[in-house]
Amino acid sequence: MKSSYSNRLVVLLILLLILFGILLQIEIVKSIDRLKNEELLKSEQYASKISLLIQQRTKGGIESVLSRDEDTRLRLNQTLQAFLTRQYKYIFVLQRNSNGSYRFLLDGSMENPEDYKSLFFPKSKKFDEVYKNQKMQIIQQSEGTEQIWLSLVYPIVENNQTESLLVLDLSEDYAKHLNDFHSPLMVLIWMIQIFLIITIFVLLVLAYRYYILRKNILFDKLTSTHTKVFLEEFFNRNDLSDYNAILIDIDEFTEVNKLYGYETGDSIIKEFAMTILERLNDESKVIRTSGTEFFIVIPKDIDNFEELSRELFKILSEKRYLIDNKLFAITISMSAIVMPQKASSVQNIQRILDEKILEIKSRGKNDFGIIDTQNISQIQYTNINYIKETLEDGRLVCVYQPIYNTQTKEISKYETLVRLIDRDDRDKLITPFYFMDMIKGTSQYIKMSKLVLHNVFNTLHTYPDIELSVNIDLNDLYNRDMMNLINSNLYENRDVANRLTFEILETQELDDYKKIVALFQQLKAFGSKIALDDFGSGYTNYIYLIRLDIDILKIDGSLIKELHTSKQKALIVLNSIQKLAKKLEFELVAEFVFDESTYNMVKELNIEFSQGYHLGKPEPIEFYVG
Amino acid sequence: MKKILFIILLLVELQALERDSTLKLYVGVFSALSSQNIISVYTNDREYRDIFRDSRYIKLTSRVEDANIALVTNAKSLRYILNKNIIGYNKYPILFVTDYKLLKQTPYAVGAFYWRKGRSQLLFIRDRLSHYNIRLSSDYQKFIIDEL
Repeated sequence: MKSSYSNRLVVLLILLLILFGILLQIEIVKSIDRLKNEELLKSEQYASKISLLIQQRTKGGIESVLSRDEDTRLRLNQTLQAFLTRQYKYIFVLQRNSNGSYRFLLDGSMENPEDYKSLFFPKSKKFDEVYKNQKMQIIQQSEGTEQIWLSLVYPIVENNQTESLLVLDLSEDYAKHLNDFHSPLMVLIWMIQIFLIITIFVLLVLAYRYYILRKNILFDKLTSTHTKVFLEEFFNRNDLSDYNAILIDIDEFTEVNKLYGYETGDSIIKEFAMTILERLNDESKVIRTSGTEFFIVIPKDIDNFEELSRELFKILSEKRYLIDNKLFAITISMSAIVMPQKASSVQNIQRILDEKILEIKSRGKNDFGIIDTQNISQIQYTNINYIKETLEDGRLVCVYQPIYNTQTKEISKYETLVRLIDRDDRDKLITPFYFMDMIKGTSQYIKMSKLVLHNVFNTLHTYPDIELSVNIDLNDLYNRDMMNLINSNLYENRDVANRLTFEILETQELDDYKKIVALFQQLKAFGSKIALDDFGSGYTNYIYLIRLDIDILKIDGSLIKELHTSKQKALIVLNSIQKLAKKLEFELVAEFVFDESTYNMVKELNIEFSQGYHLGKPEPIEFYVG
Repeated sequence: MKKILFIILLLVELQALERDSTLKLYVGVFSALSSQNIISVYTNDREYRDIFRDSRYIKLTSRVEDANIALVTNAKSLRYILNKNIIGYNKYPILFVTDYKLLKQTPYAVGAFYWRKGRSQLLFIRDRLSHYNIRLSSDYQKFIIDEL
């Protein structure tokens, strides 16, 4: 928006400058015209005075006096010379004969004055008009004249008879002088105008280049469909919930490229895209999101979206391509979604459609699937703003999964698990799968941890006979805000802190053991225990058992699952872990005990504690503690 | 240096234009005065010789006797031609002058072209034209005068 305003401002400024230049030019032209008019008025006054003077000195008829009195002629010529300033090129008096020809009576030229009564052709019929009408005229000189700008022809009239014409020729040099009066300003205006023309030209070139660049960015050269950049821009301008979406992927297209070459592959892709474009209207947008993948958005006002999607699938599946005079078919996997009102972002929609396509491909490809409403409702859970709103509303609850003494089958403690509550359906709980990765490292994560710790300590205070454990990422311990939060909670609840276990999950390899040892000491300051989560997988290794002050080992669920697939090997590994834990005096917990046979095997292995859906699902604490 | 070169080129170009228009005028006048397709012209004025040199309609002659028209630009040249005793009515060459005074000096000059007060002046004298049996086309009728 800001860019749009600045563009408009630049255009407005240029237009104002152009207007300013034009107005200035008009004003200068007017000013020059005023100067010229003033000069002409002055010349007219001169002409009137000269005419009067001539008449006064030639009383009794100008021609008769001048013909007989050469002295008067000479004096009058000298008088005319006196008026010959820089603005006048020539001043002379003409007489018109009965045959229409003109002859000089007087001439004010300093050099080579014309002979008395010598012939003259004035080159303008307006001289005759002045003679006839007895009205002064200013004549613009034309072809056949030199160095004359204007001629002022003034009739000398005696007894209502035009006796002669007084001619004042205004010099062309003087006209130039008048024009040059404003020349610096005119130069400035010309420079402004040239600058503006160049600026406009440059802007046009830039606009054209920008247009070409945008075209290249927004349109796929091969298929004439849109690019991903267009998709982003499109949903900056349009509401996502006004559209439905389809994702199409051509199955195993690499084989086509291998068999027929990339050129043939490209022509098929091109024809494929053309088929999609032909079926859809202009308001629908087709975006080539990768080599063989097309994302389509269709306005919701188009009826029967599902029917349209199925029809498109049918058209594309049945389409045949001519390669080397043989008809060739391709298969596609296609997913469609009716956009939910609360869809967070187009990327999430693409991800969901992509997951559906993966599902279709895992089933054998060449199929079409529509995303069900359950999945749709989950889209919003991946929206950071939705999670933020949930935490602000305090819609968070802790559920507890029991950890049993394997031999006695009595609950030893509970693992605390966090759930968020759906905004519209209070019975619906949102698992960390949807939001945890998104909020880690943000202020929302601290906020959530604060709520969890508050819940945990409340439970410990409410139920004095139970023990709880909470999960914590090792990276959280490096976060000063998080450690401050944990330490302050431990201190405030130091009377119950000894019934709390921190289950540490490590997502990257440790290198600074000294720091971790110090952090563990802080956690254990009020009697809390430390459990190493997911032992036997990922980054957890035996060196931790030596260097870190750990109380409990929780065997990773994947190892327990192996009891069903590779029983003997799994038993050997688990047996060794059991012996190790016993020798090092660690409590040992088997996770993921999902059925009775697993429980029995864990029991046979003498693993002290067990946890899993078979024994107890995560539930509110009241479910287990009456 | 480039500026000076540009000005020189501009002046040369302007001069060429002026020469072209002068040539055009004289070709018109001489064609009106002579019935020849290619008119033999005598003049000892170097400037005019340069102008006429490249014309397809005017052939410059070095002898007055060989010319259809003699263009006289000064009194000395007029005297030289008159002293040849070949000038007379109904005889070639016809005299055409470039000054009003020259026109007055000899009755054999049928017309003149010159500049007065910044205006071009072209004129032919009726009785002198008739002495040479010259009838001008309608384009030139308005330039014919009866007396000087």
